[in-house]
Amino acid sequence: MASTVAETHSEVVLKKKKVRRSEFYQGWKRFKKHRLAVIGLVWVVIFCLAGIIGPWVAPHDYRTGDFLAINQAPSWKYIFGTDNVGHDMFSQILYSIRSALIIAIGATLVSFIIGVILGLWAGLRGGIADMIIMRAVDFMMTLPGFLFALILVIMLGRGYLSLILAIGIPGWAGYARLIRSLVLSMRDSEMVEAARALGASQAHIARRYMLPNVIGSMGVALAFGIPGDLIQIAGLSIFGMGLQPPIPSFGNMIAQAGENILGFPWLLYFPAGIFAITLLSFLFVADGLQEAFSPKGGN
Amino acid sequence: MAILKFISKRIVQIIITLILVISVSYIMMYFSPGGFMNTSTMATALAPLQGQNPVLYQEVMEQFQSRYGLNLPLYQQILKYVWHELTFDFGNSMQNPSLSIMSQLQRTLPVSVILAFGSIILSVVVGVPLGIIAALKRNTWVDYLVSTVSLAGQAIPAFVLAVILVLLFGVVFQGILPITGWGRWDEAILPIICLSAANVGVVARYMRGSLIETLRSDFIRTAKAKGVKYWPMVMKHGVKNSLTAMITVIGPQFAFTVMGTIWVEQIFAIPGLGQVMQTAFTSFDFPLAITSVFLLGSMIMVMNLMVDIIYAIIDPRVKL
Repeated sequence: MASTVAETHSEVVLKKKKVRRSEFYQGWKRFKKHRLAVIGLVWVVIFCLAGIIGPWVAPHDYRTGDFLAINQAPSWKYIFGTDNVGHDMFSQILYSIRSALIIAIGATLVSFIIGVILGLWAGLRGGIADMIIMRAVDFMMTLPGFLFALILVIMLGRGYLSLILAIGIPGWAGYARLIRSLVLSMRDSEMVEAARALGASQAHIARRYMLPNVIGSMGVALAFGIPGDLIQIAGLSIFGMGLQPPIPSFGNMIAQAGENILGFPWLLYFPAGIFAITLLSFLFVADGLQEAFSPKGGN
Repeated sequence: MAILKFISKRIVQIIITLILVISVSYIMMYFSPGGFMNTSTMATALAPLQGQNPVLYQEVMEQFQSRYGLNLPLYQQILKYVWHELTFDFGNSMQNPSLSIMSQLQRTLPVSVILAFGSIILSVVVGVPLGIIAALKRNTWVDYLVSTVSLAGQAIPAFVLAVILVLLFGVVFQGILPITGWGRWDEAILPIICLSAANVGVVARYMRGSLIETLRSDFIRTAKAKGVKYWPMVMKHGVKNSLTAMITVIGPQFAFTVMGTIWVEQIFAIPGLGQVMQTAFTSFDFPLAITSVFLLGSMIMVMNLMVDIIYAIIDPRVKL
């Protein structure tokens, strides 16, 4: 008797595992169908790897310029050329990838965490807290986050942490609104009601019913958040409010290249090209994720 | 009269938002390192005057202090400043004390407005037909091409596109279009194209989605059953009804276009609001910085209000 119970139990466990795995497996299968999304993912992975191992593979120091090789066209020694003080562009780009990734991921996480906390609070509490938070969301949404970022940079300065906060803090409104709407739609759904009727605890409902349904939309929102933040970082640099110039960043390089673009166009090709391809890749990946994992999907 | 009530309600909302924006910026700059209005920027700008005419220098500094109420508590300073801003009494910039902010803005704001509106118009003119083509040729290569190009337009920020265009028209197609400056009509073409790229993508994607949905609806089937020809059906019944949904997209998109103008102006060397903002922010010229934020914000919100009004007029189903 005991053995049959154990058997059926293990069977159930096996079945459960299979179902759980297939959820993600099917999502991955749907994702794989979008060729652009897969290409984008490959590029994103390469980009992230370059950011992680950049300092070890960079052939030159980004701070010391070779004054005998100023404004050189790409060659074997300097494969992406050198800028107006002889900095190796390839090394600069490797370091820029690192700084861009650190700030973009950090800022997206900051926005996301603030957004989740406020969104959950608004959705679960309701009442006056909900009203105040949603008013604040409306306020943040009417104006572009970049304006707030500019003002925050003045207040906080131009280091890594201050840029993460300056770009991250104004970005919470979208996440808060998304999470609030997800919580609201989930709270009154038949599925949750049924679980509650069966006596499931609040934590169990949150874990087993709400989280799996929410995680797709959240992942998609995060995936769309990173390229947006990358644009803001570069935009701040273009404005002269980004990372302090000795630290390389895409915005600084693009702005510098723009100054003497007719004489030394290769200073533009590589930073602008890599930056544009990266943004596109992130967007393709986000688009693919949306169609694969978000319940509503794209059009 | 419902519309008047709606407009006045929205204007009150806009004013409250602007008051909040000004106060928030003021508080943030007040607590910024170095402090708001610590008068040192003014002092450096006026240093030559101090040597020549100490009495006048003292007078100017005192006037400055009393204007911003620097010896009052913070909340009174804020109230004072908000009142100044809302009554368009912007005062003088700190960097350039002899120059009033109003005169700087009078010169530069129209430039940014032209760029932003030009880009909105261009993106509708280009984006709507692209969206229609993509919707009618759904799931063919034309559709995929339009979708990919519009996604690319959305992904590549205006400033990257700007440098690429400068390169293209400075080297490859040299002499066809001017790549810097402002004054002649053709100098506006490249900046407007840059600003429109993202909007074209958004407009095309929304137009496509909305038209596909409209073409599936019952009244299209009825029109088909009545024997309406293909093109009149698409244009009169389909496109006309999808356009209303489009208008709601343009409002929020305008905000990004306005932000784009301040980047694009940097690269094309256009003397617009973006350049004023850049000098204001990089040189810690606080009155000028807050005023430009205030103006950008009001531009965006007024545009949104206009979109809502147009929407209500065009679409009879919308009740205000």
